[in-house]
Amino acid sequence: MASRVALKVGGKGKNSGKGGRGGEGKSRTECLKEWTDWSLHKAKVIAHYGFIPLIIVIGMNSDPKPQLYQLLSPV
Amino acid sequence: MAGFPPPGATILGDDAAEKKIDEVGKKKVDYFNLPCPIPFEELQREAIMSLKPELFEGMRFDFTKGLNPKFSLSHSVFMGPMELPSQGAETLKIPTAHYEFGANFIDPKLMLIGRVLTDGRLTARVKCDLTDDLSLKANAQLSNEPNMSHGMINFDYKGKDYRTQLQLGDGSLFGASYIQSITPHLSLGGEVFWAGQHLKSGVGYAARYENDKMVKLACAMHVPFASLLWVATGQVASTGMIAMSYVQKVSEKVSLATDFMYNYLSRDVTASVGYDYILRQARLRGKLDSNGCASAFLEERLNMGLNFVLSAEIDHKKSDYKFGFGLTVG
Repeated sequence: MASRVALKVGGKGKNSGKGGRGGEGKSRTECLKEWTDWSLHKAKVIAHYGFIPLIIVIGMNSDPKPQLYQLLSPV
Repeated sequence: MAGFPPPGATILGDDAAEKKIDEVGKKKVDYFNLPCPIPFEELQREAIMSLKPELFEGMRFDFTKGLNPKFSLSHSVFMGPMELPSQGAETLKIPTAHYEFGANFIDPKLMLIGRVLTDGRLTARVKCDLTDDLSLKANAQLSNEPNMSHGMINFDYKGKDYRTQLQLGDGSLFGASYIQSITPHLSLGGEVFWAGQHLKSGVGYAARYENDKMVKLACAMHVPFASLLWVATGQVASTGMIAMSYVQKVSEKVSLATDFMYNYLSRDVTASVGYDYILRQARLRGKLDSNGCASAFLEERLNMGLNFVLSAEIDHKKSDYKFGFGLTVG
């Protein structure tokens, strides 16, 4: 996924602007960026492991419902 | 001899033929009822189908097992050389083999296709019709290696005689395209895209003209044509690429196509000519390129559900020879 460069220069200015949180290291925008990065990463892992099982679950529940052995046997 | 009409006379008889020509000539174009154009990305689909088959090298075996009219699983084995990017003129190939498992769910409203390789790479395609006119398409290639995953999502809106598409991709890729029918045969379109990660942006224009003459008119001209179809397309993009293609359906079974690509920034020219024979039991596609490449692709139906595939490509400039064969079951 695209890596995002954190703006450290603008951090302090934004800190004072956002209700006087100059003492803390992270600003709201940095938190938001970290949160979106984390959620995108988790979504990618979920999609990677879960997409094919999702298709199989949707397929096995569609009409006419196939049997479980048909999933594994080559016939 | 007495029963045959003299040469020069029309088959249908003079009056009927004239009336038909008049009807076709007087048929006014209803500019408020133009047909919907084909999507912008499929503008050159006839040329791509005829000139760019999926050539491969090595052995391929595909088995598709349908559990349901909508749901199927596919197993695919491939053994063959993989080309490595090399700096010199020599092409480097290493032998590889992989197994790919896939699951497809195809419904009129929802289509889900997933393929996973033995090294963990997943290719996913989703197509969903949200409403009658709006549809969502997404495709992604995910891998275990960091920074090697890509995804793209498209929103397509189909209007009465136009189509628009919005495209969002990873790496800050934005794209939008619009295509409109101008006459029943001509459609024009444009696209704009911005790739944030590569700092590239561009604008492109395209035009597509297709023609289809009916059998009735052909009878009046005394030469029996099958329904004649030809398609001409042209595309220009600000990345410097101009692409033009022309496909002519010579008969029901034979199609000829030609393609011309010119990059005015890098002064690169490629022209290719190809044929496409769609026969009852086989489909044969061949192509000759201006880069010194000749290729052919044969798909033959041996039996119900059993297809034999042969693919060959000779690159005379690089002295690179590729041959592939395979079997597709199901």
